[in-house]
Amino acid sequence: MFITEAEFQRIYDANAGPILGYLAASTGRRDVADDMLQETFCRLLVQAKSGMEACDVRRYLFRIATNLLRDRWRSGEGRAFDEPDETGATTDLDASIDVRAMLEHLSPRERQLLWLAYVEGMDHAEIAAATGLGRLSVRTLLFRARGRARKFLSAGEELR
Amino acid sequence: MNRQEDRLRDALRGYAARIAASHTVPPASGVWLRAERRRRRLAIERAERPLRIMQALGLVCAMIAAGWLLIQAGSVHPLPSFGTVVLVSTFASLLLVVAGCWAMVLASRRSL
Repeated sequence: MFITEAEFQRIYDANAGPILGYLAASTGRRDVADDMLQETFCRLLVQAKSGMEACDVRRYLFRIATNLLRDRWRSGEGRAFDEPDETGATTDLDASIDVRAMLEHLSPRERQLLWLAYVEGMDHAEIAAATGLGRLSVRTLLFRARGRARKFLSAGEELR
Repeated sequence: MNRQEDRLRDALRGYAARIAASHTVPPASGVWLRAERRRRRLAIERAERPLRIMQALGLVCAMIAAGWLLIQAGSVHPLPSFGTVVLVSTFASLLLVVAGCWAMVLASRRSL
């Protein structure tokens, strides 16, 4: 049996924000992120069955979103961050660290992994499930991504 | 190192909060309607698939029959005898029709 409308509303309310953040941070474009968000939930509705656990749904949604991002990069449309930052006011922390510049500096895969690990708080197994990578690969790639991000942060601190 | 990691985490979460504050998610009803339309289209495609298979099989059978008729008309003769050709054609047609029917029954059961 397919997901009911009420069930979908609940899933959407719980997950749309995090998925949109993930897509916006990965693509750097609001219009693309919006479109991919809708496509992500559309695919969930077409494929998923009713009665899935909340954590399974969340993982499944991130998996779909990751696949969409990968397809976009493969098709050559993945020129990220081609739109100026419109995120509005900055906080004290962001004033010293240009997160957007850091994300732009990283590869798409690194952006995804850092986002899932630090913003979504996923462990290696969950990231592996969400991205389709092996656990060991996640560990290695995340280690590298962390290293590159740290270098960027250190450079920022020195400049300050 | 831990300080830097905390800094990285805070920076990313701060950025996520800014995205959440400035990006409004599209309404769920719009996504639901889009998915409904897609579901309907997929259901139609699924229902039409057996018909397309049958059409293709019918075409193949018709071509075989046409070829056989041409041969029987006497233009080309060094081919198998009448009895063997009829037997093979009948068997092949029967097999194809049964396979087509079976595929259609399976597809209709899946879509229920």
